Amino acid sequence: MGLLKEHDFGTPAKPGAPTVTLEIDGAQVCVPDGTSVMRAAATAGIDVPKLCSTDSLEPFGSCRLCLVEVDGVRGTPSSCTLPVAEGMKVTTQSAKLEKLRRGVMELYISDHPLDCLTCAANGDCELQDMAGVVGLREVRYGYAGENHLDLAKDTSNPYFDFDSSKCIVCSRCVRACQEVQGTFALTISGQGFESRVSPSAGESFFDSECVSCGACVQACPTGTLQEKSVVDLGMPTRTVLTTCAYCGVGCSFKAELRGTELVRMVPYKDGGANEGHSCVKGRFAFGYASHPDRVLKPLLRERLTDEFREVEWDEAISFVARRLREIQARYGPGSIGGISSSRTTNEEVYVVQRMIRAAFGNNNVDTCARVCHSPTGFGLKQTFGTSAGTQDFKSVAQADVILLIGANPTDGHPVFASRMKKRLRQGAKLIVADPRRIDLVRSPHVEAAYHLPLRPGTNVALMNAMAHTIVTEGLMNTEFVAERCERVDEWVEFISRPENSAEAAAVITGVPVEDIKAAARLYATGPNSAIYYGLGVTEHSQGSTMVMAMANLAMATGNIGREGVGVNPLRGQNNVQGACDMGSFPHELPGYRHVSDDAVRSIFENLWGVSLLAEPGLRIPNMFDAAVAGSFRGLFVQGEDIAQSDPNTAHVQAALSALDLLVVMDLFINETAKLAHVVLPGTSFLEKDGTFTNAERRINRVRPTMAPKTGKHEWQVICEIAQAMGYEEMRYDSSAQIMDEIAATTPTFAGVSFELLDKVGSVQWPCNPAAPLGTPTMHVDKFVRGKGQLIPTQYVPTTERSTRRFPLLLTTGRILSQYNVGAQTRRTANVAWHHEDVLEIHPQDAEVRGINDGDSVRLASRIGETTLHAKFSDRMPLGIVYTTFHHPVSGANVVTTENSDWATNCPEYKVTAVQVALKTATESARPAHEELPVGS
Amino acid sequence: MAAEHKIAGGHEMAPARVVRLANDIAAQFSVQTDERAAKAIAAHITMFWEPRMTAELVFAVRNPDSGLSPRAEAAARLLATQH
Repeated sequence: MGLLKEHDFGTPAKPGAPTVTLEIDGAQVCVPDGTSVMRAAATAGIDVPKLCSTDSLEPFGSCRLCLVEVDGVRGTPSSCTLPVAEGMKVTTQSAKLEKLRRGVMELYISDHPLDCLTCAANGDCELQDMAGVVGLREVRYGYAGENHLDLAKDTSNPYFDFDSSKCIVCSRCVRACQEVQGTFALTISGQGFESRVSPSAGESFFDSECVSCGACVQACPTGTLQEKSVVDLGMPTRTVLTTCAYCGVGCSFKAELRGTELVRMVPYKDGGANEGHSCVKGRFAFGYASHPDRVLKPLLRERLTDEFREVEWDEAISFVARRLREIQARYGPGSIGGISSSRTTNEEVYVVQRMIRAAFGNNNVDTCARVCHSPTGFGLKQTFGTSAGTQDFKSVAQADVILLIGANPTDGHPVFASRMKKRLRQGAKLIVADPRRIDLVRSPHVEAAYHLPLRPGTNVALMNAMAHTIVTEGLMNTEFVAERCERVDEWVEFISRPENSAEAAAVITGVPVEDIKAAARLYATGPNSAIYYGLGVTEHSQGSTMVMAMANLAMATGNIGREGVGVNPLRGQNNVQGACDMGSFPHELPGYRHVSDDAVRSIFENLWGVSLLAEPGLRIPNMFDAAVAGSFRGLFVQGEDIAQSDPNTAHVQAALSALDLLVVMDLFINETAKLAHVVLPGTSFLEKDGTFTNAERRINRVRPTMAPKTGKHEWQVICEIAQAMGYEEMRYDSSAQIMDEIAATTPTFAGVSFELLDKVGSVQWPCNPAAPLGTPTMHVDKFVRGKGQLIPTQYVPTTERSTRRFPLLLTTGRILSQYNVGAQTRRTANVAWHHEDVLEIHPQDAEVRGINDGDSVRLASRIGETTLHAKFSDRMPLGIVYTTFHHPVSGANVVTTENSDWATNCPEYKVTAVQVALKTATESARPAHEELPVGS
Repeated sequence: MAAEHKIAGGHEMAPARVVRLANDIAAQFSVQTDERAAKAIAAHITMFWEPRMTAELVFAVRNPDSGLSPRAEAAARLLATQH
């Protein structure tokens, strides 16, 4: 067995040490209690024939192929459902068993198309394999009887086909949808001979509730559910283990190829983050990497009014270096800067910040975390001492109460959502704090104990009120707080004030008093309570305060430092954690160490051979302001579309247009690149060689499936720019060497190397001599900063309020099928699910404005206006509207404001006062916002 | 030995923006005493702001109609003594 075809143990592993010893076919085997006989046999190298079982699903016992004989037991029990027992003696092969299995296979094959040689699953079909294993040589029943061979194929899903004629009704797909994904979109309809797999209520896969995660395709033992790419291209012949380049879950995948052609992405069973599961993006939406829109040669122009011309790398690099130095000569060393990307590897980010600090000679480096989780970094560092989540994803399986705030994981972090739903089905309680009724409030077999639909912008008031309830009702964990925290009396006095009571918060948030109190009591009494949160927490003018308020709540109740608890940010992009770790913020060197720390700076100064600035540099919004003011003139942007993703688009465009030099490194001509002087082609994740760090601090390898299509790795290009600027010392032989430098300079990464990752799979930082295999749970015996700091978190309302002119509040987010600004997913078949951004609006808010479902409407704020189609949604509360930002033409950020988090300047995307009006026929003829043309 | 940049000060950043950012920070420290708040606001700015922004703030505080809140102004005056 290799990576291409992994060993299937038949049933899931059971936790615990091996304690039960039994004998299988004469061999002694010792396994954990509760293990199935099938898995015990597989552990001993004995694969019992099977069809309905697989080790990602609980045993089902329907196919009757895995029968065994057990000494002292009558009959032939199924080994998949039979638990091991001490001293048990099992026989997996006998004349009797062979006859039974052959008979079962005869029945299956009598109703199965015999087109193996032309079947897309040829070579990857368990039915085919089992026919061989049981020695099937004839089918006594013939093939002329009643059968299902004429059933129509469902090709409605863009990524996989469903050929019911090949289905053996083993229910693996149905169970995968239930147990692994938790969507319950599939069922077995009919009875007896009429039994068939059916999406939802007899609909096509595309029209059903199916979320295209691929779990059913993965589980199918035949060619019934088959990737279209395999149908088109054939079976892959090699595999490369790598990491998904979409969200912050960081799923491990096997990239399965024929030569250099990617056939399919298959989730890796031993991936620490995903353990064999996937979502529609990672599993299927990889076509952008070979899309014809890819920029593969450097593009250059002197002026924005010129057309781009293709040039060779040498010309592009020397142009960039020369212009950057000219700008600095004229306007000063601080007149240029750069932005690193959360979509690139740790190694690529590290060299970008080195180029800026050592070659540019300033700290004007920032990253797209500025507009998403920078408050997480600030808030958790202030309270706990380090800028990262506290747990691994597996920890949620030990949670009794889950407090989900400002996150919609079924859309944004779907693979983690499946873990969460599994735990909720087992009985954990859920509290959802979100203005919208997100799917997790009520979905199949999941219902939140409390949904707290607070008004946008009032998070801190809600969190303070929960803490107030806990403290004033004597639910605080006084022992934990006394031993592990500081500023206790000050915080208790603050939080006990009447202004922080549930009664006061109810007026501010709109959430009923009793719901706030009941949610607080539930969280306080867990016993294991875990907080998971997203951008609905951070993208507010009080984002950092809210992060600290959540940390306060966890500390006050002792929900920190063990499995099943903690404060856990659900990070947006694949390497946003890593980009922050690698020193992308203008005030921090790698490892979150402030630039003013002489000892830390000297580590890098000695290694890099330059003096480094001790003061912070400009943040992204500061760069825009300085560009408009004229003191910032040159910007390098790696893999981020700031012209689409950042707030107040008009201001961003004004800033970018004012630059003397804008250099963009990206896969495509995005909205930012349309304003660039130089476009440097970037590499896709299939070409990269390095590491990503996910939201649980897990460092995963990204391995190349092919050489860079652009001819150079991104880290090579960065080094060459630095060299062309006169900083000759910046040279590396490989990305592994860059990681070695990171490990040598950054204590939390001290033990990390490609060699270690290749050996153990992945590690979670801190990874150092004290924790050579990483740290799944942080702050176990003490906080990173020593004592946890309880910080008073005053509720300060946002200045963005609804008014008579703008009476509604707009909040923004993302959808399952699309990712961020859509640059990748819009170039895949995922557009079938979401081809435009729409404005979700409560039917009553629409009715009073004369708006019908699907009408074109004008969305206006004090900043700007754009046009969208209205979509009625009763998941929206009255007075609040919602849209996504995946399409440049809809331009959601045309209306968002310059308000930002007080501590980090993370934009307040989640609160914009707006008005919505029906567009007239004349207005409808011209869009309020248009994509920039190239060269604008 | 840290490298140094020459800070011109004054109108290299948008003055109104810098004032607003300082006021946003000051609003978060309303639970503290005036003196402690001014020190905390000044420390936050020193820790996170690029010097030309700080210079802009120090420049702004000279204007009697700066728009700075009392605590932001107190912090700006503290910063002025450090420049």
